[in-house]
Amino acid sequence: MNPRAERRVWVLGTTGPALVFLVVVAYLPIAYAVALSFFKKTAFNPAMKWTGLDNYRFILEEPELWNAFGRSVVFTVGSVGLQLALGLVAALLLNRAFRGLNLVRSLFVLPYLLPSVVVALVFQWLLSPEYGVINQVLIQTGLVARPINFFGGLGTAMWAVIGMAGWQYGSFATLLILARLQAINPKLYEAAAVSGAGPLRAFWDVTLPALRTTLLVIALLRGIWMFNKFDSIWLVTHGGPLKHTETLPLYAYRLAFEEFDFGLAAAACSVMFVVLLGGAVIYFKLFDPTREIEVGR
Amino acid sequence: MALDRRSFVKGAAVAGAAAMAPQVLVRTARGQDKGKVVFVSEESNPKAIAVYDKINADFKKETGIEVVMEYPGFANIAKRVATLIAAGTPPEIVWYGAGQAMNLALENQLADVGDVLKATGGAAENQRLIYKGADRSIPTSQQFTYGWYRKDLFQAKGLDAPTSWEDYAKAAKALNNPPAMYGCIVPSAETGASTLLLETMFMKNNVHWFGWNATKKDYDVVLDQGEQKKRAIETLDYLNELHKYSPEASTYNWGELMSTYFTEKAASSWYVGSRLLDQTIANNPKIADATVPFELPRKLTDAYYLSVQGFHILEKSNVDGAKKYVTFFLKHPELISWYHAVPLHIIPASRQMLNSTKYQDHPVIQKRMDVLKFLDSIWTKGVPLYYWDGKELNPYIGLFHNENLAGWMLAARNIKGMKSEQVVDEAAAQVRKKMRRVS
Repeated sequence: MNPRAERRVWVLGTTGPALVFLVVVAYLPIAYAVALSFFKKTAFNPAMKWTGLDNYRFILEEPELWNAFGRSVVFTVGSVGLQLALGLVAALLLNRAFRGLNLVRSLFVLPYLLPSVVVALVFQWLLSPEYGVINQVLIQTGLVARPINFFGGLGTAMWAVIGMAGWQYGSFATLLILARLQAINPKLYEAAAVSGAGPLRAFWDVTLPALRTTLLVIALLRGIWMFNKFDSIWLVTHGGPLKHTETLPLYAYRLAFEEFDFGLAAAACSVMFVVLLGGAVIYFKLFDPTREIEVGR
Repeated sequence: MALDRRSFVKGAAVAGAAAMAPQVLVRTARGQDKGKVVFVSEESNPKAIAVYDKINADFKKETGIEVVMEYPGFANIAKRVATLIAAGTPPEIVWYGAGQAMNLALENQLADVGDVLKATGGAAENQRLIYKGADRSIPTSQQFTYGWYRKDLFQAKGLDAPTSWEDYAKAAKALNNPPAMYGCIVPSAETGASTLLLETMFMKNNVHWFGWNATKKDYDVVLDQGEQKKRAIETLDYLNELHKYSPEASTYNWGELMSTYFTEKAASSWYVGSRLLDQTIANNPKIADATVPFELPRKLTDAYYLSVQGFHILEKSNVDGAKKYVTFFLKHPELISWYHAVPLHIIPASRQMLNSTKYQDHPVIQKRMDVLKFLDSIWTKGVPLYYWDGKELNPYIGLFHNENLAGWMLAARNIKGMKSEQVVDEAAAQVRKKMRRVS
């Protein structure tokens, strides 16, 4: 075998399996879902009937899609905002030396390591109107007369879900922010102090600019993950009450597995994909993370 | 680099095709495997599974056919069956509700099982699922939707089992002492439990979603018309009144209907079948003896929402093997142990078996003969949803039932506070819209 052919075999042999894997587990399903969105296909019949853009026309005319989209935005912005806020506060607290620091840091990371189903059960128990600790405390302190149905109330369900997601995934932000905080040159703080800056001013002028890139990356990653979030919401509310927590992934799931219309569900997923793609393009245009990372170094 | 992009992609594509090929071949081969029967069962109680194992081993010994079991559970079985069909690998047998199986029949996925029914003793008229002139279901068991109440608490207030709407509302109010105790449970969410409650109470007030149009030979939506609308509004308003004596229950599903009751937070509840009693015996035996069944109060009719479970055989599968298995199963001596897996909940489809010494020879049944007598007294009153609106199979029930539209109606009335009339109009409009899409 000549060296050129040998190199070809070597490259194909080493990258081929990974590429095949990627194609099989990622690109083929995406292509299949997009193709499916142009067919009528019920869950109980493998036969597919070409319908062109009918599925898109149907769901785009449905207020349910736009309502779900709106709720996805509220959930994403709310939960990512909360994660950033909690992550920032926790990282600032953990970025100092005190006894038991390692233990406390581990405890802060714990929520992120827990499976969603465990977190969902814990929050259901905490917030249950019948036997939840929070309601017991609220009733016993006289703050409320009847228990609050956090996950079942029209005005509370979305906030309860956002709170749960913020608590669970805030640890991810904590980890990244803490890592960045520890890389900030202490001389910058010394210089700020010499210039007469107090802690708040130093945070504003030194810490925050240094964290800008990290915060943007967290916002992008967590934004995508939260927009696609299914399990956490499904486990505690199933999209209820009255669809008040039904985001786009839950809407697509309902179309597929409650209405058993795979074609419509695929169209909803394709819309979701386009929205995320659009969001990512805007993000890259506006913030140019590659440049940000270069600057941040 | 020596390797150009085109040849790289070509090589990767070949490797991908090689990886996919076995999947395709397996899919093609599966339907032709006469030595295997895939059986998806909704019942996943450990005792029932032990019976399946025993019968399946005997079946293999006798016929050489292996039975592969799947237990996706009540909440997931429809999804599991749907995904198996969509993947081109339909199972041979599905044991679950005939109402769910109707979705398969409408897509011509169910085999004619008239011969199996004939060989195993037939079925009562209200348990049959007939589509295109052929039987599509082999009923094994059935469940009625009815209430359960704490006799001790009712007696302490001088109350009997409620038989009318007024009685039930009075009892619920008298026993209501939130948050320690609620008078009743009216789940109000887009869940199966809420849906079934409203559908049952509609039956009790003779409310129909559809009416048979003899000219068109098809069903029309009538929920928002004339007397139907008046009665639908009346039913919603009644459940709204009861909801005052219920936990808000806007997230409730089947589990909470039982747990709220057996944790002594509600003086009455309801369920499909007697699993609530089974769970009360298991979790809080001290109130089990005082847990007594009652009819969810009637207004105009004493019809009971009937769930029929049975075997359903998929058309594009090993039909012969499946028919052999079902016949073998129903004639096997261990069948009685299967009925006893959740005693009084899995009620035999045959009244003769219900009243047989063999079936009644179980400690729980012996202890609770009152439940058995209650079931026997309502035996002929059960109506499956797909025959509620007329003698012809109603193919449209999935349009409201699968999507928990009745649950939405309860939630819209009780949680959102919409007027009942508006709720009824909107529900009817939704069903019509879906009918247009289906057609």
